[in-house]
Amino acid sequence: MKPVSASPLSPSVKVKLLNAGFLTSEELLQLKPLQLSKEGGLSLEEALEVQQILREGVDLPGEGGAGLGSTALELLQQEERSIVTFCSSLDAALGGGVPVGKTTELCGTPGMGKTQLCLQLCIDVQIPECFGGLGGEAVFVDTEGSLVVQRVADMAQAAVQHCCLQDQDAEQRDALKDFTTESLLGHLYLMRCHDYVELLAQVQLLPDFLVKNPKVRLLVIDSLAFPFRRHFEDLSVRTRLLSGLAQQLIRMASQHRVAVVWTNQMTSQLRGGQWELVPALGESWGHSATQRLLLHWSGGRRLASVFKSPSQSESSVAYSVTREGFRDAGPLASSPSGREQDSSSQSESKQDSSSQSGSKRPRTQEGQ
Amino acid sequence: MASKKLRRAGVSQELCELLNRHHVESCKDLLSLTPLEVMRVAGLSYQNALALMRSVSQHCAPPVTTLLELWKPKSESFFSTSLPALDDFLRGGLPLGTITELAGPSGCGKTQMCVMLSVLATLPRALGGLDAGVVYIDTESAFSAERLVEMAQARFPEHFSSRERVLQMASRVHVFRELTCQDVLNRLDRLEVDIISTKAGLVILDSVASVVRKEFDTTLPGNLASRSNLLTQEASTLKYLAHQFNIPVVLTNQITTYLGNGGGGVPGEGDSGYVIAALGNTWSHTVNTRLIVQYVDARQRQIVIAKSPVAPYAVLNYTIQKEGICLDGDNQEPIGEARDPGLQPIRVRTEFKYSLSQAVGTDGGS
Repeated sequence: MKPVSASPLSPSVKVKLLNAGFLTSEELLQLKPLQLSKEGGLSLEEALEVQQILREGVDLPGEGGAGLGSTALELLQQEERSIVTFCSSLDAALGGGVPVGKTTELCGTPGMGKTQLCLQLCIDVQIPECFGGLGGEAVFVDTEGSLVVQRVADMAQAAVQHCCLQDQDAEQRDALKDFTTESLLGHLYLMRCHDYVELLAQVQLLPDFLVKNPKVRLLVIDSLAFPFRRHFEDLSVRTRLLSGLAQQLIRMASQHRVAVVWTNQMTSQLRGGQWELVPALGESWGHSATQRLLLHWSGGRRLASVFKSPSQSESSVAYSVTREGFRDAGPLASSPSGREQDSSSQSESKQDSSSQSGSKRPRTQEGQ
Repeated sequence: MASKKLRRAGVSQELCELLNRHHVESCKDLLSLTPLEVMRVAGLSYQNALALMRSVSQHCAPPVTTLLELWKPKSESFFSTSLPALDDFLRGGLPLGTITELAGPSGCGKTQMCVMLSVLATLPRALGGLDAGVVYIDTESAFSAERLVEMAQARFPEHFSSRERVLQMASRVHVFRELTCQDVLNRLDRLEVDIISTKAGLVILDSVASVVRKEFDTTLPGNLASRSNLLTQEASTLKYLAHQFNIPVVLTNQITTYLGNGGGGVPGEGDSGYVIAALGNTWSHTVNTRLIVQYVDARQRQIVIAKSPVAPYAVLNYTIQKEGICLDGDNQEPIGEARDPGLQPIRVRTEFKYSLSQAVGTDGGS
């Protein structure tokens, strides 16, 4: 019942078939190649190719593999795990960690720790399953050049030590044999893109890469904003490229069961006569990620705020970046001004109660 | 990579001609189209259009490596600054392949630091140097060859004991004077050739802010955007070259006043503004490491590590001597706390005290 005009054939062939009076693809499949070539005015090879394409039922985006859909019960039972961040309050705010199969955006001003969090996730995804991790691999697409291998090696070493202190049974001790700094670095793939064309090319090739390396559970792009903040003669081209990119990333996340995380920068915008810092890449870009985290300074502390999530309520937690990596905020020393500050959990609950009254999203009982 | 012609990306001659008729000539043009547009323009079926895009992508995409392959010993990943406390915080020194920025008020020591790094770059590896040439792009005509020689002889007296060694060192530092934005851009376009011909191991641009601020008046509409574009373009070129040649790039920046809610240039109403690094928020995202130099008093200065992929916020005291930058033994408690490196307040010199006894010597000077 599919019309010829909507089939994935080349335009010249389509025109010839339509001129010959063919309307549906069923009609085309009913004929033998010789007859088709005579009636449609095609060469024999073209006729054969047409029938091959139509018979294979090409996987077009939009029809896709999810033809049957699934019930909510099936989705609940599927139990996708999350990647921990080693900052327990942030994990709690995210409902377990960064979710696999969804896209997450990290926005923030420079020096907040976006790259540090991405590197921490790249290490945490490799934690063996018996320790509560995913035992997977990670892909890091670097557009800014902020990745210093020595830093990743330090963080990897700290993670290994953390797990070594916790081993309790034989299975865990076995897993630790393969969990070393070298193996952590060896399962972290790096792609360095210098401009947006290299980034687009890389994202085109990623699905094949993910099929060849099925153990990859995390894809990080740091940062997505930098290559697109250069001059585009036509801003609508940039918007179109970005939304195409978002589509591809969302599809990769769900089809290949990877967590996709990208970082965004901040830009100054004039709002109501005042300059404010807002996430870069435009208003429409805000819709692309499933979940958005904003890293910002507040009262001399670093806070991570969840400000878009389909399942978690808006909240802010304090974190810190130490030599070991991304961690919980340490106990607060009294600030120079002598102000007493609440502990992080109290401020979190204050934020929750104030945001819950305005927020329409219900709190979940547990993570997905 | 992006402007690679399709012909060289493995696309057949006839297909290239077909695409050229629709003004699709380079890889960039092809990858900016959607698959449906490629079908229409190239006259291919959907599968073949996707295959074409994939094969062109393979010619454009960067190679994939693992971090294990890139893990090198410290001497090959960092450029030691010869200031032990600073190197310690930075886990070895300035990371190779990245951009390091020195921001601060005038006279604080940015150019002195650049001259010192030039000397260090030419030193043999045994002494902690890179044993390479230096490309020094000078936009303020602040480079002084006499100071270079004086610093080298004071800092490494045994190594530079013979005149011939000093001359050899001086011949490895290549100074280019560029005074307009267009000149700087042209120089950056040619930089690849210069790096190869001078066997450079360090690129210094002193300063990136001066030419840009002379020519762009950001209160005029549209200028802020074109200034941002120019800076992003410069940064992309420098990052690409830094990565390809695995060398450090050092830039210097100036300062500007931040007036609370009015961003750079917009006067507030009696807001007590404070001083921050110039060139705006986008630029602070672009540099990989930001070191701020500021005054404590007339003689004492500080280096603040404001942004770094490896180091925490830290403050180090230093003074400028004959041998260049000298760190003081104990580090004081940081004045102020860490914040957004784009909004880090910088202390400027508020008074000038001169006394006859101090007239001789190299006090201050930038």
